[in-house]
Amino acid sequence: MEIKKTAIAGTLESSDIQLTISRADSGITIDLQSDVKKVFGDQIEAVIKETLKSLDVTAAKVKAVDKGALDCVIKARTVAAVQRAAETTDTPAWEVL
Amino acid sequence: MAENEERLRRTMMFVPGNNPAMVKDAGIYGADSIMFDLEDSVSLPEKDAARLLVYEALQTQDYGDAELVVRVNGQDTPFYDNDVKAMVKAGIDVIRLPKAESPEMVEKLEADIAAAEKEFGREAGSTHLMAAIESAKGVLRAADIAAASDRMIGIALSAEDYTTDMKTHRYPDGRELEFARNMVLHAARAAGVAAFDTVFTNMDDTEGFYRETEYIHQLGFDGKSLVNPRQIPMVNKVYEPTEAEIKNAKNVINAIQEAKLKGSGVISMNGQMVDRPVVLRAQRVMKLATASHLVDEEGNYLEK
Amino acid sequence: MQQIDTTLGMYNEQGSLIATGSVAGNVLKYVGVCNKFSTQGSHFNSIVSALMNLLAQRGIFHLFVFTKVKYSASFQHVGFHELAQTDLGAILETGDTDVNDYVRRVEKVATERRLLPAKRVGAIVMNANPFTLGHRYLVEQAAQENELVYVFVVSDDVSLFTTAERLALVKQGTQDLKNVVVVTGDQYMVSYVTFPAYFLPTADEAIQFQTTLDARLFRDQIAPALQIQTRYLGSEPISRTTGIYNQVLQAELPPSVDVKVISRLTHGDQVITATRVRQAIAENQAASVLDWLPANTADFIQQNLATLQARIQKGMNINGN
Repeated sequence: MEIKKTAIAGTLESSDIQLTISRADSGITIDLQSDVKKVFGDQIEAVIKETLKSLDVTAAKVKAVDKGALDCVIKARTVAAVQRAAETTDTPAWEVL
Repeated sequence: MAENEERLRRTMMFVPGNNPAMVKDAGIYGADSIMFDLEDSVSLPEKDAARLLVYEALQTQDYGDAELVVRVNGQDTPFYDNDVKAMVKAGIDVIRLPKAESPEMVEKLEADIAAAEKEFGREAGSTHLMAAIESAKGVLRAADIAAASDRMIGIALSAEDYTTDMKTHRYPDGRELEFARNMVLHAARAAGVAAFDTVFTNMDDTEGFYRETEYIHQLGFDGKSLVNPRQIPMVNKVYEPTEAEIKNAKNVINAIQEAKLKGSGVISMNGQMVDRPVVLRAQRVMKLATASHLVDEEGNYLEK
Repeated sequence: MQQIDTTLGMYNEQGSLIATGSVAGNVLKYVGVCNKFSTQGSHFNSIVSALMNLLAQRGIFHLFVFTKVKYSASFQHVGFHELAQTDLGAILETGDTDVNDYVRRVEKVATERRLLPAKRVGAIVMNANPFTLGHRYLVEQAAQENELVYVFVVSDDVSLFTTAERLALVKQGTQDLKNVVVVTGDQYMVSYVTFPAYFLPTADEAIQFQTTLDARLFRDQIAPALQIQTRYLGSEPISRTTGIYNQVLQAELPPSVDVKVISRLTHGDQVITATRVRQAIAENQAASVLDWLPANTADFIQQNLATLQARIQKGMNINGN
């Protein structure tokens, strides 16, 4: 899926994660801010990367501000941000959900 | 009418669908049913995000034995189709249709659910549905709505929209809801489905909450919709059977077992024949007693 | 800059206001939170989140905030990065792009022009409203003393000459200077975000604060990333705001960055200023200042005189910078 524009999903509230996804020429870069980055940073980034991969996003810049989100929340917010950025919100990628 | 009619449905807790903290914790309060909301509690720009959040949570979170319900957006919105598809794919127990005003709306939901079950390879008929009655039209057609689908598990009165439609608002004594409550309840009973009362939003008025819950319990509602988990033990308390009711029910159950052992088709207790309504009520009392932790495994009353 | 686009209020179940915040363009303002009934920071996170989502719906993702130094940490906790601070306040940014992206874009232009690596790098920030021989003289001085000179053109579109026009005139007017790279200053140099007083009448104290932030942002973020050693300024005999700005730059930039003040070019007994050029346009006296302008600027004014005069008539302020 192609990132067409910047999009944001999620909030800064407890148990949530705010994701901003924008265009990049190539590759995935993730700028993660989290109180639990030392312990869970790698896992949070892994969930984001895995979700991007399943959505076939190969180039994107991601800014993530984590407020203690579970993996399922990270995945949901990533999918929401990508669909908004790719302008496919009305036609969800059912096969990868 | 769906097959699990005797399930306890005392409490149906509303959970805003775009709030991860509440979605995550929804299972810990012991509600009989959890209703994830994609409709009124979610702002328009967040409809997609809420749908995805509830979808992912349903895949991964353990909500125990609670019946899982999702309130989708109305059929007149652009969100309805994707809401239904996503929730069927997620394997939700029940889809709740808001603003039901005709059996045709229920039939449409049923058809959409059936199509989604087929598309996503879910067992045909595994997704149940319920309808919320929120208008004068809905109340007057409640009986048809309640009987409109084999997948129907219940109908609920939703008083906020209803009172607006009736050109009134909610009063502490609830008299403005008398007709609607009785219509919804009768429609549910006639169709053999559950009846859910509306929410009570003033969290500071504990006395008013008990008064209303006792009233709808007396009428015969299965339970109440709730906006705050603190209300769950309060409803359960109202629905708790008394010691005498439990002991009487236990006797009925014993009599049934005795009759079974004897191979007799006639159940008798204290020399009198026990008929079907008494048996059903006894079974329901024992179920409530078990849920309220008032009996042991054999069904004997536990002194508090 | 006191203008507000939207203010949000958050209420609790009892109907009490528990948080508020506003936005003006892409700047968050007046964030206020009552923590009486909540765990520390939860209302703050909620209101900032609501403001960010509101701006996202408007397609605005790159945000700034000015705040007291003691609240800088709160904003950093929700993903903002501090750009600069003084005793009076800090400026932070967040979003889909940041100062590092900006610096990389500028660097890319210099690299494509084969001007990097360069040992001596100078910089000039100008509004060039419009580009005069005075500006040109300043650029020439810097170009002679450096291997590479960045000319940062103020990017906000609030001047008589539009940003596109100003940028084009500076580029054309310095085309022959092979070691000069002309780019916009984006929101990091003399922008409506960092330095509103440049565009609006403001008290000295506020000017002092804003120029200090602007100077430190240049010193701490821009100059080191682009290896700029010297910032060139034109001496300022007229504008009070620019005068304060020059003083602050001289106080704040060294020793990290040298400051060289170049005396204004004069024409006869008159100092060349863009302000006078704009007045001449307004007074239909453009011919009187043509000698002050490079050929391309003079041509542009003559060809677009009616348009420029119409802008002034519509209320465009020409007495600022």
